[in-house]
Parts: sequence; C-alpha cells; structure tokens
Amino acid sequence: MSELAKEHPRAAVGDTGLWSSRVARRVAVLVVFGTLVLVAPWFLDAYTVNILVRAFFIAIVAVTVDILWGYSGYLTFGQAAFFGLGAYTLAITFSQLGFGPGQALLALGAAMVLAALLGALVGWLSFYPGASPFYATIISLVLPIVLVQLIYSGGNFTGASSGVVGYFSFPLMTETWFRVAGISMLAVAVLAHIAVSSDAGRLLRALRDNEMRCAYLGINTAAIRITLLTICAAIAALAGAGYAAFGGIAAPENAGFVFGTQLVVMVALGGRGMLTGAIVGALSIELASAYLSGILPYAWELLVGIAFVTVIVLMPSGLFGLLRAMAQRWTPWLFAPAPAVRLGDSAPKARESAVDAVVLEAQGVARSFGALTVLSDVNLTARRGELVSLVGPNGAGKTTLMKCLADGREASAGDIRIAGTPIKGMVPHRIVGLGLGRKFQAASVFETMSVADCLRIARSGRDKPSVLRSCAALNLPAAARSVVEASGLDTRFDEDARNLSHGLKQALELAMVLALEPDLVLLDEPTAGLTRSERNVFATILTRLVEQDRLCVLIVEHDLDFVRQISSRIVVLHQGKLVLDGTVEEVVNSPLVAEIYSGHQVTDDPAPTPTNTPEARA
Amino acid sequence: MGNLILDILTTAAILFITSAGLLIIFGVMKIINFAHAAFITVGGFAALVAHQIGLPPLLAPIFALIVGGVLGAIAEAVIVRRLYERPLDAILATWGLGLIMTQLITASFGRGVQFLPPPISGTVSVLGAEYSLYRIVLVGVAILIALAFTALMTRTRLGLSTRAVIMNESLAQGLGINSARVRLITFGVGCGLAAAAGALITPLTSLDPAMGLPFLIGAFMLVMVSGGSLPALALACLVLGGLQAIVSTYVGSVLGGLTIAVCAAVALRIRPEGFARV
Repeated sequence: MSELAKEHPRAAVGDTGLWSSRVARRVAVLVVFGTLVLVAPWFLDAYTVNILVRAFFIAIVAVTVDILWGYSGYLTFGQAAFFGLGAYTLAITFSQLGFGPGQALLALGAAMVLAALLGALVGWLSFYPGASPFYATIISLVLPIVLVQLIYSGGNFTGASSGVVGYFSFPLMTETWFRVAGISMLAVAVLAHIAVSSDAGRLLRALRDNEMRCAYLGINTAAIRITLLTICAAIAALAGAGYAAFGGIAAPENAGFVFGTQLVVMVALGGRGMLTGAIVGALSIELASAYLSGILPYAWELLVGIAFVTVIVLMPSGLFGLLRAMAQRWTPWLFAPAPAVRLGDSAPKARESAVDAVVLEAQGVARSFGALTVLSDVNLTARRGELVSLVGPNGAGKTTLMKCLADGREASAGDIRIAGTPIKGMVPHRIVGLGLGRKFQAASVFETMSVADCLRIARSGRDKPSVLRSCAALNLPAAARSVVEASGLDTRFDEDARNLSHGLKQALELAMVLALEPDLVLLDEPTAGLTRSERNVFATILTRLVEQDRLCVLIVEHDLDFVRQISSRIVVLHQGKLVLDGTVEEVVNSPLVAEIYSGHQVTDDPAPTPTNTPEARA
Repeated sequence: MGNLILDILTTAAILFITSAGLLIIFGVMKIINFAHAAFITVGGFAALVAHQIGLPPLLAPIFALIVGGVLGAIAEAVIVRRLYERPLDAILATWGLGLIMTQLITASFGRGVQFLPPPISGTVSVLGAEYSLYRIVLVGVAILIALAFTALMTRTRLGLSTRAVIMNESLAQGLGINSARVRLITFGVGCGLAAAAGALITPLTSLDPAMGLPFLIGAFMLVMVSGGSLPALALACLVLGGLQAIVSTYVGSVLGGLTIAVCAAVALRIRPEGFARV
C-alpha cells in the first residue's frame, strides 16, 4: 500500500478528497455546458438553432450507439429503428388523439415501453451463449429494414412513404426547444457517464474484450446485453419522440437503416468508447451536413465516406481519441490518476459441503464429432481436497473432457454432475454458479483492462456491482489474494493486462478464477511456457489450495515431474478412453503408462518422455 | 402452378447469383463485405458502359466481372488488408467504401433511373405457362457459376491453396502458401462476381446508383445461414427463395420481401450452425 502511495503522489490524497475533487471538476464542466446551452439561442441565428435542436436529439441516440458499440462491442445499425419507433408513436398518438398533456404523457410512455419490448425481443434474437457478433450486427441491420417496410404498408395510419405530418405538438418557441433538447442531451450524457464509469459499466468493457472469459466467470453475458439493449432502445425512442414533437413529422427515413449507418459514422468519426466523441461527432456532422450538403451535394457525402474509411482504418479511436491521446501526452496534469487500489479481504463464502464432499461425478461421458469419436465412456469422480492430474498423449481427449465438464452442451452422451447437480444442456455461466472455475490453456484475461479491474470483474458475480458508483477497494478471497501476492501482481494493479508477461497473465487468470471461490477448479496446462521458478511458485500455490482451502483441482499437465510433485491422484486418458485412475505410485509404475508413452502401442505422436515437456499442442 | 415452380427456381437462381460473391469472401476471409451492394451497382453500370461502347450483350457480364474484380483487388490492397484482425471494423470500412463508390457512380452517371435492353427477350412456354426466357436463362447461369467455382476450388492449384488457407491459415503460411495473395484474389473474385451479378440482373430491374441495396440484406442472410459453404448456399437459396416466391404470390409483395430476412434470422437463432451441416 505504502509503495503504491509513493508511486502516485496524487493518489495519496484520501479517497474522499480525490472523489470530491473529481466531482467538483465534473460539476464545473457541466455548469459551463449547461450555461452555454441556455444562453446560446440569443447568439445563434434561427437556422442554426433549428438544426441544433434536431442535432441534440440525434446526439442522444448517438450516445446509445456508442454505449452499445464503443463500450460493449455490439456493432449496431438498429438504433435508428428505435428512434423511428419513438417518432412514429408520438406522431400517431398526436394525430389520432389530438394534443394534450395526457396524450403527451401517453405518447412518451408508449414510445418507451414499445421500444423496450422491441429491444428485448431483438436482444433475445441476437444474444445467446455462443452467438456470433456478425449475427447480432446483421440482425440490427434487418430490424430497421423490416420496420420501414411495415411503415410503408401501414396506409393512412403510418402515412406510408410521406410519413405522419400535420399534428399539433407542444406549443414551444424554437429557443425553448433548444434549451429543452440541449439539457436533455446533457442529462443523458451525465447519466451515461455515471453508468459507464461505475462498477457495472466496467462489465460492458469486459464483454467487449472477452465474452468467453466473462461467461466462465459466471457472468450471464446474454442477460446483460439484452438488458443494455432494452434500456438503450427506450432512450433512443424518447429521443425520437422529441425529434417528432419538435419537427412535426415522423418520416420513414427517421427509422431507416441509412440513418442507422449515419449514427455509426458519427460515433466512429467522433471517437467510439468516448461519450464526448459520440456527441461531438453527432453535432458536428449534423451541422456540417446542414450547411454543406446544399452547397456540395455530391462532394459532401463523398467526403464523409472518405473520412469514415480513413478513420476506421488508420485511427480507430476517432478524432476525439486522437485529441485525448495528444492531451494525455502533453498535459498529463489534466487527467486525475485513478484512485489507489485498496486490497482487502472478502468475507469467505459459506461452504455448505463437507471438506471431502464429492464435487465432480462423471459417468459414461462421450464426445463425438460426426463419425469421429474423441471421448468414450469416461467415468471420473473427484472430491474436495484432491488434486487430480489428467495425463495422456496429445490427442487423447484431455482438453475435450475439460470442455465437457465446463459446458453442459458439449458432451454427446453421459451424465456429469457438479456438486451433485446434473449439468446436461447447461450453459457455462450457470455451471460456474455451481462452484466450478475454469482456467483456459492460453491465458484469457481482459486485455485492455487494468489488473485490478480484471480481478473486480471476476468478483462481480459475488459482490453485486453498483450502477452508480465505482469502488476503489478490491476485496479478494484468501486464495486469490495469495496468488496475487506470491506472483507480484499486487505491485502492478494499475497496469493494463495486455502489458503483462506470459507468466503474470497466467497468474492473473488463475487469481481471477480463484476469486470466484470455486469448489472445483479446472486447469488446462497452466505451466506451459513458464520458467522453472514460476512453476515452483505455482506448485506451492496449488498445494496450498488443495490442502488448506480444500479445493478440488483437476489439472491437465504434460510435465510428469510436476504431476508427481503435486498430485494426489493421476488419471490417464488414451485414445479417448480413461485407461487408468490411481495414486501417483500406481500410475507411475504402471506398465500400461510406460507402454503408452514409449509408443509401443499405436500412438500418433512422438512419445513425450517425463523430462521432455512439449510446449506446443496441436 | 407451373408459373409458381418457375418463380421459385428463378428467384433462387437470382439470389444465388447475387450472393455467391459475398459467400466466397466470407468463406475464405471470414469478413463480411458491406460494399457488396456497391459492387452489384458497379456491375450494372459496367453493363451500361459495355452497351454504350458497343460490346455484344453476352460479353457485358464478363466485362463487369473484370471491372469489379480489378476494383475489388485494389480495395483489398488499400483498405481491407489492414483490417483482418478487426472483423467488425472491416464491416464498417467496406460499408464506407460502398458509400464512396456509390457517390462516385452518382457523380458520373447522375441520380436518374436508366434502362438497358435485355440481351435475350421474349417468353417461352414451359410447364404450360408463358415465362420470361431471360429469367430461365439465369437458372442456367447460376448452375454455371456453381460449377465453375467448384472446379476452381477442386481442380486448380489456386483452389488448393485457398482451401488450405480456409482450414488453417498459419499452417498454410508455414508451407509456403502466400496467403496474402490468396486473400487478394479471393476478394477480387468475390467483388467481380458481385459486379457480374449486377450486369446479369440489370435487364430485370432498372439502373440507378442504389440498385444494389435491395439485394444486400437477402445476400447477407443467405450467406450467414449457409455458413460459408457453396452447396449450403444453393440449398438456402432454394428453400428461402422458394418461401419468398410463395409468400409474394399468396400473401403480398411487402411480406414477401421480408421473408428471407425474418426466416433466416429465426432459423439462425434456433439452429446457429444454419444450413452448413445438414
């Protein structure tokens, strides 16, 4: 702790002091912009005011696009549809029922509810465990196209191709509209900023970085994405309703996919993953196109296209990202350092099961791909306090077996129970909920997040993250904490995970898995590529986990020396069959193992001798 | 009834022709070419130019193939090559490329709608119905494209390299296959096919800078459903195109136009691997 404080003199300011200085800075920025919005109509000409009112509403949708795409990694062209749905709901309500306070409330409420329902439906269609990001993007493209077709075929009700026009709306002056729209946009920006910088907002970036790792940290990724889309859909619909209330028209192009792509262009040019970027992008493109598309009808769209491609290829973080990188370089004092990480202990999980309870039972597990059988009739039981090593030549089915244990949709046949619960058909995040932790073969962490944030994400299943606040403390269970301290990760909490060495990444991932407080841990070649000293640290940690914390560890390992040093039991897989299950002595002295590894029987690969560990696997 | 069967067959053929180029790029490079619609448009206008300079109508699709192929290869070398590690950004960059191409076409040919005389006109009596001869010819063209592509992939050295890159790119590179060249050629061939498709369908529709767009969503959905395999694409075109023809005939053209997108979206949600492993 004291070391950290020395490294960051600014962070030495007490937590509350830092917090209040950050808040004061932000409130000041907000007051400046708020005042600007309130006084601007006195200085701008009527045309510009008019353009900016529309631009403010569009900027609100652009913020939702940025949250969905820039923060959570879901490239969407569909926000236009929700905007259009909001616009049409208001226009149709006012033209059918007339204008009045009751109708206005009804219109806004209906816009939000309808959009939220549609958003949930689209979310259900787009996000499910294992869904491809391409698929979600294509669905987001289909949505506005379907909606516009429905509008075209809606006859008088939707006004077909000419849209809904000629209804009475709020009797406000354009200047008042400017202030209402501007303040609304600022309010959305502030709320969005609070949400994305909160503990829960960090989850969105984790989803963007590595959705698979999230699922194996017990996070229900589909539910988060669907919830986020539902909220963003409702906000976009409100913006659309405001747009139609001001403009007096709801037209098909407000819902169309061209508008959807324009929103993405705005966010990309401004800077994805930055709320200011999205807002600046939306406002400047709207303003510029209002002035330039009349003067340069063809050239303007051509320019936008060229700028867009250039930004995507050469500077993916957009113009604002470039500005920010420059500011960080030249004026670092503008950026307050992140609050220092306080490492704390979490209250230990109440373990209900006995210290030697059976946590894994597998019976008759088989896995085949078409005619190719990779695993057949595997029976395996493991208890807490056991370290079971899974050995066998390459291609024996070790990793496949691990997959079957961690994902209920993998096994072709057989019965697997984790902590007594059958997992057939269960998706990974629910199996993790049963007390399973899985470390992948290649270190899988959140590359763009700091070490502390990676660990916080791992804890988010247990300590429910707040949507409003960001917590400086990092509370870890003893096992995870010991890995963090033994590996030296505790001196590098602020560093991005991508900058860590291979060994430290492996340690970080192990600490993340242990932060789940699992009863059963699956480790797939955790020591591959580690140095001898790193390997010894690892062995000590594993032994402690099993003996003190009474975890059950199932490990795939090639290094037989290492296996002998740590295992309480060894299981041998050969050609998809479990051929041996016994104590270290029994297995090491077994003639069968000698036969498998010396290659007298049919094996496809050169036999690894106990001292020779193959680093690479097919 | 005879009319409906022909509608189903010819709709499937047109869908196949307009999505084959997208499928080839997706299958090999695992990226989605959002400039596909613009390349279809390029093909349409290439056919117009071919007509203006007096090329025989039968050569128009070949001319379009070459124009689209060259443009596609340039686009790969300048833009797409840098984005293989960022597949979602490749979607955006190709979409931007499409915007640029559409604007350039608009600037050169104007926004107006133009028409090209069909190279083959008249009707023919099949299964007791009078049917447009050109649409029937397109069924043959679709089969020809499928056969030519299969031959290219299975009978040539380039096809062998391409299949190697699809299966395991780093291994293929290790064996001395120039995967950058394979990608360049693939993108060129995919764009060239899109342009040829544009030239082939122009006689059925009108010619304007946005003519490619209506085919875009159908092509995306069909390619997603078929998971990058050509036989699966043919099957998907037949099943979903057939559904589209039936819905258009018996329910209405608006719903008919949405059939493919909606059916494919739901089908993929229920069966994420699509038609690829039927």
